Amino acid sequence: MSAPTTNIPVAIPAGASSGAPAGQHPRTIAGSLSGGLPGARGLASRLLHGTPGRMRLFGLLGVLAALLLGAISVNALLASQSAVERAANNSAQVVHAQSIHVDLLRADAVATNAFLVGGLESPESRAKYEGAMGRVAAGIAEAAAAQPADGNALGVLSQRVQTYAALVEQARSNNRLGLPVGAQYLTQASTGLRADAIPIITQVVAANEERATMEFERSNSSVQLLVGVVSLIGLVGLAVWLARRTHRYLNPSLTGAIALLLVALFVTATVITGISTATRDVSRGDYEQAVALANVTTAANDARANESLTLIKRGSGAANEAAWKTNRTAVDAGLAKTDQSGELTRSWQAYVDAHVKVRTLDNGGHWDDAVKLSTSTADGGAANTFDTFDVAVTQARDSAGKATVTTLEGLGGSAPLVAVVVALVALVASWLIVRGVGQRIEEYR
Amino acid sequence: MSTISSTLRRRLSTLVAVAGLGALAGCSGVTYAETQLPTTPAPKPSSSAPAVAAPTCTNATQSYDPLPSLPARADISDGTMRKILDKGFITVGVSADTYLFGARNAFTGGIEGFDIDMARAVAKAIFGDPSKVQLRVITAGDRIPLLQDREIDMVARNMSMTCGRWNDIGFSAEYYRSGQKVLVSKALPGAKDLSLADLKGKRVCAPNGTTSLTKLQQVPGPVVVTAGTHTGCLVLLQQGKADAITGDDTVLAGLAAQDPNTVITSAKAITVEPYGLGLNKADVYLARYINRVVADLEADGEWKTIYNRWLAAPLGPAPAPPTPVYGR
Repeated sequence: MSAPTTNIPVAIPAGASSGAPAGQHPRTIAGSLSGGLPGARGLASRLLHGTPGRMRLFGLLGVLAALLLGAISVNALLASQSAVERAANNSAQVVHAQSIHVDLLRADAVATNAFLVGGLESPESRAKYEGAMGRVAAGIAEAAAAQPADGNALGVLSQRVQTYAALVEQARSNNRLGLPVGAQYLTQASTGLRADAIPIITQVVAANEERATMEFERSNSSVQLLVGVVSLIGLVGLAVWLARRTHRYLNPSLTGAIALLLVALFVTATVITGISTATRDVSRGDYEQAVALANVTTAANDARANESLTLIKRGSGAANEAAWKTNRTAVDAGLAKTDQSGELTRSWQAYVDAHVKVRTLDNGGHWDDAVKLSTSTADGGAANTFDTFDVAVTQARDSAGKATVTTLEGLGGSAPLVAVVVALVALVASWLIVRGVGQRIEEYR
Repeated sequence: MSTISSTLRRRLSTLVAVAGLGALAGCSGVTYAETQLPTTPAPKPSSSAPAVAAPTCTNATQSYDPLPSLPARADISDGTMRKILDKGFITVGVSADTYLFGARNAFTGGIEGFDIDMARAVAKAIFGDPSKVQLRVITAGDRIPLLQDREIDMVARNMSMTCGRWNDIGFSAEYYRSGQKVLVSKALPGAKDLSLADLKGKRVCAPNGTTSLTKLQQVPGPVVVTAGTHTGCLVLLQQGKADAITGDDTVLAGLAAQDPNTVITSAKAITVEPYGLGLNKADVYLARYINRVVADLEADGEWKTIYNRWLAAPLGPAPAPPTPVYGR
């Protein structure tokens, strides 16, 4: 690339010349141009003839290289910024979907628990159920608006949630009449929720986690800058060629252009690396924390519903108790990762202790006492200890989720400004190249 | 020169095009593949396996001789009964959704009904306290396996005594006699008089693991639909997924009481269903003990009291209790 002595031009990316389909059409166009317009052919050969012609040509290539470097830098900056933006949106969607998941399980835990107590459900538990279902309905609409790719899945989910709500209402009205068929409707509702609705929401969470991870990786678009480096090398080659041809070693304009572009490339690379490092920190920090805490909240609420179902099934709930144990393992694992202060672990342990007592009572033939303890809102009661934990873990999850989204949204902020400056620098550099090469052409005459 | 220049121009334009494309690729928005729905396995076709011919015998209701009198707790040396006594309660498999026989009271949360009172009577005889009973809610299909695994000590869950079941478990003497009838939606034409054979092409529901299902599968014509329990069948009927339910008249009475849009047809009972308390096959002593308890209940009028408490309203006042057959 340095010191070319033949007429074969340099600074053309490999592969450009091997583009067979691209190579055929221009030939005919060029042929018809030169054939149909003899003047143009003459002008072209005159402009490109001899050393000044090559200077003009390489000068043009230099301008293009500068513009290319500018364009690539701007593009890389904006790509990083929009990748971070999309990562923020996808993370927000993950949190969103997980909230829907938790609220569905929370509603089910409340419904089964109210049923367990017997009699007419209390206004408080009714309000709690309606609050959770209301959040589910609003959450599905918001999530569908936020990510069109989730629209279809969320539509089906909405349908399943409606079926669930309808079955719960039917259970409730039969229950009010004292008819045992109400219990059957409730069982059908709970089973259907876990079999038909929960898998969809799990899928939505997984899809958005994948999208977020993909964008976390995309936020580092510095690979594109290699093209900029090639452009810069081409410009240096031009300077060297010019120096050899003219025996004048320093061309201030051309050197200035190269220096400016070098700085622009360096700044761009620094900004992009900064964004991607910060993004990686978020993905390994707040984001991971938010996802883990959401999984803890989900598993905990599932455990609570399983406790009620075990009692409702009166001795035939072994499968639900096994599910409770699986939930507990998930919560323990999640807390071990996320709970630095140990406060959540302590309040979870309080609930676990209450649950163990509930099981001991039920297994010992004291079903009534087991139900009393399971639904007790007094100190040490399962309902009390669980609610304390649920509130605390939900708060922790919400703040981690918010921190993720806010941090990500703030990350790409400086990129557009840098992009504008880099674009201007590229234009200035182009002008400097034109000036520098033009000077030499003038001198050559 | 002209060829060189045209080659150059060509290369230049390619270069510009490549750069332009790169810029486009970076700036254009990202579209994601649509979120996939979880794949659900195709619903299993309901079991319509041809019914196996039930083993026949002439002594399905024949149980063991009752003990001459109830022994004092300290005098009982039988292994199973000692275990129950040491445990402090008897574990009984019951239904929680067979209205009037064993059903959860939605207001108190307690399980109550004819079968539950039978279980409590046994507990009262053993412990002197009717509350010393652990009610374990089971489905019809659970009854035999749980008895065989000794997960439960006794079944009081409208369980018919059959020759086939005697091969697997033991029974107390007959304590109630029922028969299999049909409950249909009132919407069917001529609903009141339909028999099982009239329901050609209609979807008829019966719970898994019941004699009702076996009988239903032997009748040509109806499409068999199954559920876990009779109440599960009622849900299917209310959801339009079944047209009729077949089962013991007592159970159907409980279902009809929960849905005024259904009727038990006037067609004659197609089977005789003698109810016995189910026991582990090896627990002959317990069976003899319980037979004494049941005989005492029938003798002192307690049986009639229990009957009237639950069944007088839908079925009329208590008839004479079924005659127990002993000597197995």
